[in-house]
Amino acid sequence: MSCFLKRLILAGCLLAGCSGGADLAWAQSTTRKTDAAGHQKVVAPFLQKYCLKCHKSGSKDNEFRVDASLTNDFSDPTSTGKWEEIVNVLNGHEMPPEGERAPKAKEVAEVVDWITAQIVKAELSKRDSSIVLRRLNRAEYRNTIRDLIGIDFDPAGFPQDSPAGGFDNNGGALTLSPLHLELYLEAARKILDLALVETSQPPILKWRIQPDSGDSDRNRVNYDGQRIIVNGGKNRVENGFKVLHHNSWDKKLNARDFKLPYAGNYLIRIRAAGKVPGRAAVVASAKAALQHRMEQQNKKNPKGAKWTKQQLERDLKHFETDSMYDYGYPRLKFTQHLGGQPKVLAELDIDAPLSQPKVYEFSGYFSTEKAGVTIEYAYDLPRALENFWMQTGDQFARPELHVDWIEIEGPHYESWPPASHRQIMGRHTNKPGDERQAAKEIISQLMRRAYRRPVTEQEMEEKLRLFVSVRKDAPSFIAALKAPLMAVLVSPHFLYLAEAPRATGAGADSQLGSRKLNDYELASRLSYFLWSTMPDEDLLSAAANGRLTQPAELTRQVDRMLADPKASAFTKNFAGQWLGLREVGANPPAADLYPRYDRHLETSMVAESEAFFSEILQHDINMMNLVSSDFVVVNQRMARFYGIPGVKGDHFRKVSVPAGVHRGGIVTQASVLTITSNGTRTSPVKRGTWVMKNLLGLDPGLPVANVGDIAPKVPGIDKATVRKRLEIHRELPQCARCHNKIDPLGFALENFNAAGEWRAQEGFGYKGRIGSNDPRIDASASMPDGTTFVGVDGLRDALTKQETLFLKCLSGKLLTYALGREMGVADNPTVDQAVSEIKQNDYTLRSLIKFVVLSEPFRSK
Amino acid sequence: MTAFSQEPMSRRHMLKGLGVCLSLPLLDAMIPSAYARPSTFKSWNQSAGKHPRMLCCYVPNGVNILEWVPATSGKSYQLSPTLSALKEHQREFSVVSGVGHLASKGGHSGADTWLTGADLSAVPGSDYANTISADQIVAEHHGKQTRFPSLQISDASGTGSAGHSHTLSFDRSGTPMPAENSAQRLFDRLFIPETKAGKQATLKRYAERKSILDSVLSDANSLNQKLGKKDQQKLDEYLNSVRETEQRVSRLESWIDVPKPKVDPVGLQLASQSRNAHDRPMWIDVMLEISYLAFATDTTRVITFEWSREAGGYGGGGENHHELSHHGGDAGMLSKLATIDRFHLSKLARFMTLLKSTREAGGSMLDQTIVMYGSGMNSGKGGEHSPKNLPTLIAGGQQLGLKQGQHLAFDVEKHPPLSNLLLSLIQAMGVETDRFQDSTSTLTGLA
Repeated sequence: MSCFLKRLILAGCLLAGCSGGADLAWAQSTTRKTDAAGHQKVVAPFLQKYCLKCHKSGSKDNEFRVDASLTNDFSDPTSTGKWEEIVNVLNGHEMPPEGERAPKAKEVAEVVDWITAQIVKAELSKRDSSIVLRRLNRAEYRNTIRDLIGIDFDPAGFPQDSPAGGFDNNGGALTLSPLHLELYLEAARKILDLALVETSQPPILKWRIQPDSGDSDRNRVNYDGQRIIVNGGKNRVENGFKVLHHNSWDKKLNARDFKLPYAGNYLIRIRAAGKVPGRAAVVASAKAALQHRMEQQNKKNPKGAKWTKQQLERDLKHFETDSMYDYGYPRLKFTQHLGGQPKVLAELDIDAPLSQPKVYEFSGYFSTEKAGVTIEYAYDLPRALENFWMQTGDQFARPELHVDWIEIEGPHYESWPPASHRQIMGRHTNKPGDERQAAKEIISQLMRRAYRRPVTEQEMEEKLRLFVSVRKDAPSFIAALKAPLMAVLVSPHFLYLAEAPRATGAGADSQLGSRKLNDYELASRLSYFLWSTMPDEDLLSAAANGRLTQPAELTRQVDRMLADPKASAFTKNFAGQWLGLREVGANPPAADLYPRYDRHLETSMVAESEAFFSEILQHDINMMNLVSSDFVVVNQRMARFYGIPGVKGDHFRKVSVPAGVHRGGIVTQASVLTITSNGTRTSPVKRGTWVMKNLLGLDPGLPVANVGDIAPKVPGIDKATVRKRLEIHRELPQCARCHNKIDPLGFALENFNAAGEWRAQEGFGYKGRIGSNDPRIDASASMPDGTTFVGVDGLRDALTKQETLFLKCLSGKLLTYALGREMGVADNPTVDQAVSEIKQNDYTLRSLIKFVVLSEPFRSK
Repeated sequence: MTAFSQEPMSRRHMLKGLGVCLSLPLLDAMIPSAYARPSTFKSWNQSAGKHPRMLCCYVPNGVNILEWVPATSGKSYQLSPTLSALKEHQREFSVVSGVGHLASKGGHSGADTWLTGADLSAVPGSDYANTISADQIVAEHHGKQTRFPSLQISDASGTGSAGHSHTLSFDRSGTPMPAENSAQRLFDRLFIPETKAGKQATLKRYAERKSILDSVLSDANSLNQKLGKKDQQKLDEYLNSVRETEQRVSRLESWIDVPKPKVDPVGLQLASQSRNAHDRPMWIDVMLEISYLAFATDTTRVITFEWSREAGGYGGGGENHHELSHHGGDAGMLSKLATIDRFHLSKLARFMTLLKSTREAGGSMLDQTIVMYGSGMNSGKGGEHSPKNLPTLIAGGQQLGLKQGQHLAFDVEKHPPLSNLLLSLIQAMGVETDRFQDSTSTLTGLA
């Protein structure tokens, strides 16, 4: 495989930071050299032979000339545009026209690869290596407000942030428009209104709702003078518990038509238990239903008795063998309705047995709008032909959810005034004796933390003036204080990570164009890199003491920060974007073709990939395990999906992969396998592209425009697999050039269907079901250089052999994320150093992170 | 039997699948959308005033293009099977075939560029950069005269993510403008009057806002002096935004004493949920009804409405709309797609009836209202997801100079940019400009 990969690199199809090595003269240089030799050897003869007859001065096609007027200069946009056009017409087989001498596919490939390589080179060398003033993105804003004010503000209403290089923390790509500013103003107002209080603590209400008190909307129960609808649905009652057996519109538990007197966070408690029937109970209940059906059929048509008996046995086999009946715990979904808008507050496995019901607690924000709450049964049983008609029969054994009561208590505060209030006000009361002095202290305290640096007297005075100017018309000290505090939260010093080009303080570098960051700037870079939030007091005080610019202190901080729960933001934002986890659910597998894909699985597969990355990071496990591991990190839902026995409960934990289960490593994870499918079928092209881009750092090239989707049916072939259809599609030479490199990587993963489920055959039956005669999966792969491997195991081995490419790719991604800019040619030495650093340090992610933090680009402006 | 050869699932089919005969419960998928309670909303006799207006309606996943494009063109064209759903309005709309977005990459990112025509990867150093949408150019022109310069509606609130936009509108800097999906919230925003105390508080908030903006402007100016050139360019976005927001606040102040129009919500099913398959038909109706009311009361003149997000979408009877777009030429899937297309057009027809039955000086509301309807993707003959030959129709606006009742058929291979059509609409809405994005001219024959 290495030979094929090298060819790719030479073809120029490479992403920043993942260069091919010594044989690339330009890899070490920031100035781009023109490849005159390549032009002379590959391109000039080709143009001469096949193009110049027409495309020259004076000929009828002289508006597009490929003679000397087309220069070998890819820094010039006009000539680059012409070169791109040449690639397009060659790829699209538009030129040379019919009747003219046609070049061989290999000749075309050489020319196209050479041109593409020059374009990529020019692109990379033009790339700016300066880090642009960077606005906080949505996740960073939310986390920063949490740490600065102590309020969880959901910025889902902010516009999405544009990514660059695959990450949404790139200063150049993050824009700001008037719309943002309006939303920041509104948000600041809301946040401060929640944070600062001027009343005494609102009285706490506590309602315990008994869903067994009625089963229709006519049932009204009095709570503090409000007559609330309590509708336990058409569910049977057992020992005072409502028993939910399946989900249906008339089987929800509802408490509706109330208004909570005070807005705030409310605690929700649910006393519940679950019953999980074993296989024997499933088979017994299914048998009873099947037998009843058979008797009915035989009564109608006694002649069919022999046939119906066979049918019964066939169907019974399904209940005896299908893994979907290795049930998990029943699942509960709790939805809040505020002003008519539904919001899911919790989805939980109910793991308490009937003998020991448990109280499950979570919280949610309620306004004083008209409200309601709903509990639904949320355990999905895949709908199969053998069971869909008995699934919703109360006799059928499936996980049962038993609910005793629901409690709503609040508004809930850990203390009064709330922590957010105390954090902002410090020692001051709401009616301080010297308002000006108090305001000055409060504002400057917040400014220092919001701006992540010491604040000048002048900056301070300016905000104090704002306080004074609004105070005379404001009803209270607090009300007036909110104006300067809002201004702080909308200030560019807060919203942007600002780094001046010339240091104003110590540590200034005389070197032109670049200088060392000062301690505070470094604290912010580090904090937003590993926590996606503002520096904490420890970091700020290290900065204040001038310690942070010392390497030993920096690495100490990295260890401390990675051990902090806030480091989960690194996994979520870095690994989440690297692996594309935000795409999960955007184009989900079609429900009727992939009935095992459900909401619980969808959320679990994202959590699995995050937990897997986090496990390797936190426990310093060799990072090649990302490519291939003998363990997975799963919850019960994923374990059931993967066929791994013995995993109970919804939390994620490391589990050894049993023999015969082909999991372990990113390419085996359902998250990656679904985002690289198109909802109705697998897409080996998407999977191959994903592997190239995200694990090997190679660019697969652009698809030829408008070739169209692969045909769903092939005339003359009864059951044409996705692979077969793709192979037919690939017969077009303009497609084959790239697809010969891409598709085999995806073919090796064909044992996973579009939902990421293991399969031995491709199903052609009703709703994609697999019949005994359906074709077996062919997961063999053959790369253009002759390397072959089979299936996901072979692919993992082949990828493991590409260790250096993988490490370069990952290092490049991590640098891109840490610096908030894309990698360019100038960064290649840094990437190479990162790889050797990793290799010398047991291949840990921690060593890579430390390398990045100590690297020149990270510590310089 | 394959998954793709099924007619809409009937109970008999299910029984055949089982090979036996027994009584089965009704499955969700078999419940026709007609079960949804039809809207009882009544149009007004007369609008509050005659003004040019524009509504852009987006449907995802393309359409069954084979049953959409009429076989003949010109003034006397024959309606295609799908367009027959608009038969009663044939003189009030024109179908445009053969146009597309040259810069679009195809696939399911069509909503992002439908009204912008942008090349999303054109800006070096950004994976995604959009440009101003046509509706916002119109809103800049008309916005000062209405309480809301424009409204954004979609079935998912917010903006979605790059390439999966939940909004059709992008401001001058290419920033997506968050959309509303709750009928109740939208109605409240437009028509529920503020109390006197609320007005006082709002006015105070505006004043406070101005002083805050002054304060942060001085922050920005002092920061600007310390920055390098690149960072200064970046900070310009901030400085410009502050200045523009100051103007907006002044604008909002001038509206505070203008009472919101009195609108009785009778017949409006404001509780309909966009993501609930049962509510779906009612939700489309009620959002169009609120759009109608917003126009009739001159609360806004520009609305964009993404009926479903790309690669999502609901069919009339619970089919997977997205799955059907990968039809690969399968006749059964194409016929289901056409059913969904007709369902959507029946909603549009209803909206047009509302406009038509409301009088306005010199004609009906429809004559002053441009309705653009279509998709940013064409699933073609074989399920390809192409940005060429986009299904597009333009209704109303005859008093604004649009020529209706024709099929404008352009050469699919040499397709003119959809930007030409957008330019025509921008001009019809009274904006003086001769360019929009990659337009080469206005669209021949439309105006």
